[in-house]
Amino acid sequence: MLLHGTKTKIMINTNCTEDILDEVNELIHAPAMETAVDIRNVTVSFKGKKGVYTAIKDINLAIYKGEIISFIGHSGCGKSTLMNTISGMVKPSKGEVFANGNLIKGPGPDRGVVFQNYSLLPWLSVYKNIKVAVDSVFKQKTHEQKASLIERNLKMVNLWEHRDKLPGHLSGGMKQRVAIARAFAIDPKVLLLDEPFGALDALTKSSMHVELLKMWNLDHREKTVVMVTHDIEEAIFLSDRIVVMNNGPEATIKEIVELHLPRPRNKKNIVHDPAYMEIHDRLLNLLIDKFSIND
Amino acid sequence: MFVSELHVTKINKKHMKSFSIKKSGTDFLYFMLSMCILLGIWALISKITKAEIPGPKSTWLVFKELMAEPFYDRGPNDKGIGNQLMSSLLRVFYGFGLGSLIAIPTGLIMGASKTGMKLLNPLVQILRPVSPLAWFPLGLLAFKSAGGATIFIIAITSLWPTLINTAFGVASIPADHKNVGKVFGFSAWKYLTKIMLPYSLPHIITGLRLSIGVAWMVIVAGEMLSGGVGIGFFVWDSWNGLSLEKILIAILIIGAVGLLLDKFFNSLQNAFAWDKN
Ligand SMILES: Nc1ncnc2c1ncn2[C@@H]1O[C@H](COP(=O)(O)OP(=O)(O)O)[C@@H](O)[C@H]1O
Ligand SMILES: [Mg+2]
Repeated sequence: MLLHGTKTKIMINTNCTEDILDEVNELIHAPAMETAVDIRNVTVSFKGKKGVYTAIKDINLAIYKGEIISFIGHSGCGKSTLMNTISGMVKPSKGEVFANGNLIKGPGPDRGVVFQNYSLLPWLSVYKNIKVAVDSVFKQKTHEQKASLIERNLKMVNLWEHRDKLPGHLSGGMKQRVAIARAFAIDPKVLLLDEPFGALDALTKSSMHVELLKMWNLDHREKTVVMVTHDIEEAIFLSDRIVVMNNGPEATIKEIVELHLPRPRNKKNIVHDPAYMEIHDRLLNLLIDKFSIND
Repeated sequence: MFVSELHVTKINKKHMKSFSIKKSGTDFLYFMLSMCILLGIWALISKITKAEIPGPKSTWLVFKELMAEPFYDRGPNDKGIGNQLMSSLLRVFYGFGLGSLIAIPTGLIMGASKTGMKLLNPLVQILRPVSPLAWFPLGLLAFKSAGGATIFIIAITSLWPTLINTAFGVASIPADHKNVGKVFGFSAWKYLTKIMLPYSLPHIITGLRLSIGVAWMVIVAGEMLSGGVGIGFFVWDSWNGLSLEKILIAILIIGAVGLLLDKFFNSLQNAFAWDKN
């Protein structure tokens, strides 16, 4: 709690001067940091026609409150599976996952999910897509409170003017922003993003990264963001830590790479930072390593 | 069997589209040409049979006569063609409505629950192929009236396409949509109204469109058995009165009304097709 207070104060008193942000970063990585998600000894097996397939095995990971953490690894290694044990859509065959101190028994609004394919309801307008979620989660709020909540979140992703459109009439990037606004509107403590920008072109992707960080900042960096990605650059630009996974079956965590890159990060400048290049190389090696094992 | 019906549904959908008349442009022209072919064949057959089957001209004269007073009412067995048609339509809507009220909820249950599907599917497969005529005595027994029995056989034979399409629609809700409900903690009611029904609505309407076609087909058979009043009775009565012209007129009217009913459901389909706009 004390820690929590300190951090908030720093955020309010400063306007993102870099040293103090460094300090925030230090705090984030301090071992005393509150745990938002605790993955303990998690194994997930799927029963198929050809027998049992163990996707991930004996995973242990503590995700801290307010950090941005990425899972990276080859396709099919079990990133989504691991992510879904946090969202509650996949039950671990062994082990447990705790979120905000509670054992996860199923999906819940304390964990917002942005799906890989947006998952908007195509028969509802942009506004109503967010409204159904807000109505369902905040049953006690008044009509006006909910309306202003929806408006604020839609404006945050610059989609207020498009609120009456159906998802079918939006571009991929816009749909993604609706999905993000929807996840933010229910104000989850943990935000789960499964390859959220995978389908976007490079330009839209970049602006979505900035958008995501903006929202995270506006929220005093108190939301925990867990993200799955294929994209090394994206992972480095956004994350505090990057979890590199081994290939399945029985995938495990290969290595956790800690990033001490200061925030706010600038897309153009960051690539020239020697620390960035070092991490980039390391990740590339970790991932390419797997190719040579496979081949 | 379940699958084959769906297949038919799909083919019909494509097939019917090309038959639906649009008021404007070439479609209308083709429709008129098509009617000309019909008249041509008809006239030819009439000529070959040496007017034993009446031709378009003599039929037209009888038609004009009938249309002069379509709604006359001279006792229980002598009513105008308009009256006959109206009472048939009314029965069709009762039977079809009743059938749909059974078919849609049952279809929702079958589509939403594997147990429901396993439990009800054998029942559907056994009852679905039964001819409307076979149901008629049972209807008479249950409702003690020919009118009731007719509505009963329409309901029980027309409900299957709606039921099967509804079940298919619900069963094919993508995991993505279901996950939205899970993640945002939708109540059962919210899931039903915001995900299940909107998603399956186009399928349900396709089912209804097929069902109304079946219902309209069954009405003629039903009324031939039940007598009284109705377009089916009119056909039977005309046969007894040896007026082949009237039978041909009835056939054309039955066809035209069937087409209009189909058009109506086609426009509903377009109005509720969230996936196509
Ligand atoms: N529901 C499931 N049933 C059976 N196998 C599954 C299921 N979900 C995932 N898998 C398998 O588990 C492995 C990991 O999948 P996933 O977590 O989706 O990989 P990633 O997201 O890293 O691409 C894959 O081999 C996949 O086929
Ligand atoms: Mg995945």
